[in-house]
Amino acid sequence: MDELIATPPIAGYRVPAGCCDELLEDDGRPRPHAAPLMATLTRLGPEALAAAGHRRDTIFMQQGITFEVAGTDGERRDRAWPLDLVPRVLPADEWTGIKRGLAQRIRALNAFVDDVYHAHEIVRAGIVPWSLIVSRPSFARPVHGVRPPGGVYCHVSGCDLVRGGDGRWRVLEDNVRTPSGISYVLENRLAMTRLLPELFAGHRVRAVNHYPSLLLDALQSVAPAAEVEPTVVVWTPGSFNAAYFEHAFLARQMGVELVEAGDLVVRDAVCYMRTTAGLQRVHTIYRRLDDDFIDPLEFRPDSMLGVPGLVRAYRAGTVAIANAIGTGVADDKAVYHFVPEMIRFYLAEEPILDNVPTYLLTDQTIRKHVLGRLGELVVKPTSESGGKGVFIGPHASAQERSRQAELIEQAPERFIAQELVHLSTVPTETEDGRLVPRHVDLRPFAVFGEEIRIVPGGLTRVALREGSMIVNSSQGGGSKDTWVLDDGSSTELATGTPTAHRPPRLPDIRYGGWHGQEQQQQQTHGRPAGGGPTAAKD
Amino acid sequence: MLARIAQELFWLGRDLARAEHTARMLDGVFHADVAGDPSDQGIALGWEGVLAIIGARAPAPGRKSDRGGEDGHSGVAREPPPRATGPLGRSEVARLLTLDPGTPASVVSCVARARERARTLRDVISTEMWEALNTFHLSLAGLDMETALIAGPYSAYQEVKERCALFWGLVDRTMLRDESRSFLEAGGRIEAGDMVLRMLRVAVPPEPETGGHQGGALALLHAVGGFQAYRRAVRSAPTVGPVARFLLYDGAYPGSVASSVDALHTALSTADAQPRSSPPVLRLGRLIADLELQRRAPDAAGGLDETLAHVQAELERVDRDIDDRYFAMALAVAVHV
Repeated sequence: MDELIATPPIAGYRVPAGCCDELLEDDGRPRPHAAPLMATLTRLGPEALAAAGHRRDTIFMQQGITFEVAGTDGERRDRAWPLDLVPRVLPADEWTGIKRGLAQRIRALNAFVDDVYHAHEIVRAGIVPWSLIVSRPSFARPVHGVRPPGGVYCHVSGCDLVRGGDGRWRVLEDNVRTPSGISYVLENRLAMTRLLPELFAGHRVRAVNHYPSLLLDALQSVAPAAEVEPTVVVWTPGSFNAAYFEHAFLARQMGVELVEAGDLVVRDAVCYMRTTAGLQRVHTIYRRLDDDFIDPLEFRPDSMLGVPGLVRAYRAGTVAIANAIGTGVADDKAVYHFVPEMIRFYLAEEPILDNVPTYLLTDQTIRKHVLGRLGELVVKPTSESGGKGVFIGPHASAQERSRQAELIEQAPERFIAQELVHLSTVPTETEDGRLVPRHVDLRPFAVFGEEIRIVPGGLTRVALREGSMIVNSSQGGGSKDTWVLDDGSSTELATGTPTAHRPPRLPDIRYGGWHGQEQQQQQTHGRPAGGGPTAAKD
Repeated sequence: MLARIAQELFWLGRDLARAEHTARMLDGVFHADVAGDPSDQGIALGWEGVLAIIGARAPAPGRKSDRGGEDGHSGVAREPPPRATGPLGRSEVARLLTLDPGTPASVVSCVARARERARTLRDVISTEMWEALNTFHLSLAGLDMETALIAGPYSAYQEVKERCALFWGLVDRTMLRDESRSFLEAGGRIEAGDMVLRMLRVAVPPEPETGGHQGGALALLHAVGGFQAYRRAVRSAPTVGPVARFLLYDGAYPGSVASSVDALHTALSTADAQPRSSPPVLRLGRLIADLELQRRAPDAAGGLDETLAHVQAELERVDRDIDDRYFAMALAVAVHV
């Protein structure tokens, strides 16, 4: 079968053992849904790809779409956002499954948050232990009994999905605090249409650029009742935050103010922002900082980033906060284990998307079993994010293994163990334009206002080092544009299909501009000498 | 000043505004075409719409001549070719309207004409303006469309937008605020207003409220370059109705029709020795008042498309008034230019 792939740039492409590739079959032929893309890539060849790569870096540097990385000497410097030029392609039916599974999961997570701060039904049913919930650092006592408008807590969520060697999708992590990356989804698509428009030929790719509208609609719909149009703001911790680009991007795209803590003030349990025209009421805050920092009166008293009294206003129901305070309890890695049970408990449905098999280490026998297999498993600290402190068994030395075993014995409740997933691969360009397999994950973004809307695709992160499965951009990961193909049965947009509309015939007006000179001359010939105001031509 | 010079300045402004708007429009439509989803199929601002806006001939010269050979000098797109033979796509239209020197409506032709005019106006415009324009012309000549299409014409459109901005910035910075500058600006503004009106007329469906679709409205905003301004000025979602009203009426946005009409009025009032008895100035004054009235009482006038047609017809009359009042003396000469 090798002669089928013997053309550049896929020569020598070998899918790693135990993984499945998203664009190519095991024998190297392109999968049917990716055939036009692979054909175009083959036709373009490595030189064109490499050239597009250079243009991409230039454009990203000019537009200031950069990412801070630590160089080998430890110095931090900007480099162009690492967008890989080969998109990841998902067929429509596959996406539909993912979308339904995600919506189901998010509904369950949302119900769980509501339950945790109100009736505790899932605890009384004996499914999730209360001691586990209250011991989560993100459990927020101050919001006990507070129900935000519409009962929506997880307005914005981004779950990390992976596809294993068997081709099945699984949820690796939930993220219902402040998931970031959506700005890169939109910027990636924009850049791809500018850099390599030819790749899109032969595919109908679902648009992603309506995300800011979806988000704004959702944020407006959860605002407390107001006689005027609700004022929405994006709250950033400040310009030194790693995700500041995204905060500014969203504010700009939605046309709302980007505020910092100093711009907000709470008076008599109502939140305002300071404007040139005095205080202006704020109805919905899309906050991009953790619970811990938002109100020094209720959470960390040393927070310089918070607004004193904000939780009081939130409890009084005069301001909506997205995501709601205390949602972090639902995406804790120790709670993750229970999500399939939550789906059955709250929704009485079977989970559409599975978890990666996960072991809680507080149980003596399970712990013993896990410690015996430490060399094959992944161990994660429960209350960390961004790939911090993750231990990958097969890549660890004997010394690291014994150290990790020690840590687990000391505080088993601080860790979970998971089966290693052999992440799927996608062809990825190297510097010289050749294509090599690299591992990817997927983070789709969902918005929950009146209903759950999910932008087609999401952020595909790719580990740019050979064999690596760490996709975090802070650790040498890149990203890919993610295409969800359309098979004509689009249910993405609730708005009716617009009727085909033929351009009308414009009147034959004289200043078509480009033939101005000729027409002037024609007109001159047609005019009576002296050029009187007889403009009645045509 | 000389009527001939005034006319040349007026057309210089128009050519440049035309080049810039064409580039912006092609960029916006190109992006919407590549990135759009099929629910955008109904958006009117497709490639056939672009041809209708520009008033260029539908098929590329030298190709498909069996269909388009006899197409007259109507300035209006013919009926689009039947779907069976394939709709006009980005490769044909973008090629035609960007860097094809044989198409009078292409960006490169507009710039070439502007540069020719500027060459005869060296004593009126500042040297820096001339150099900016000449460099512009040379840099476009250096671009290769085949490469640009493969690489994505984005960089070519970016170049056009930047060079135009540079030129108008130099006008602001280096050109005497006299009659000549007024005519230059008048030309730029009337063309800008007309281009936006054409885009609106083609892109806005007859019943914008029912046919309102975000994809098309977004493409329209990007085609004019007003997405961010819209987002800051208008709180409602970008559907066709609000977007069309924004581009037509919003005087705070420099690319709106209202802004262009306003600036045109100012430019002519400054240039004219007796603006109070000048037909184009008077007509513009009435048009401004009309626009303001319709903005405040949208129900008073008919549908949006009726308003658009009315405003465009008025602008056309203004253009003829300008010709009659200021350039009539030059017309006899213009034949030999």
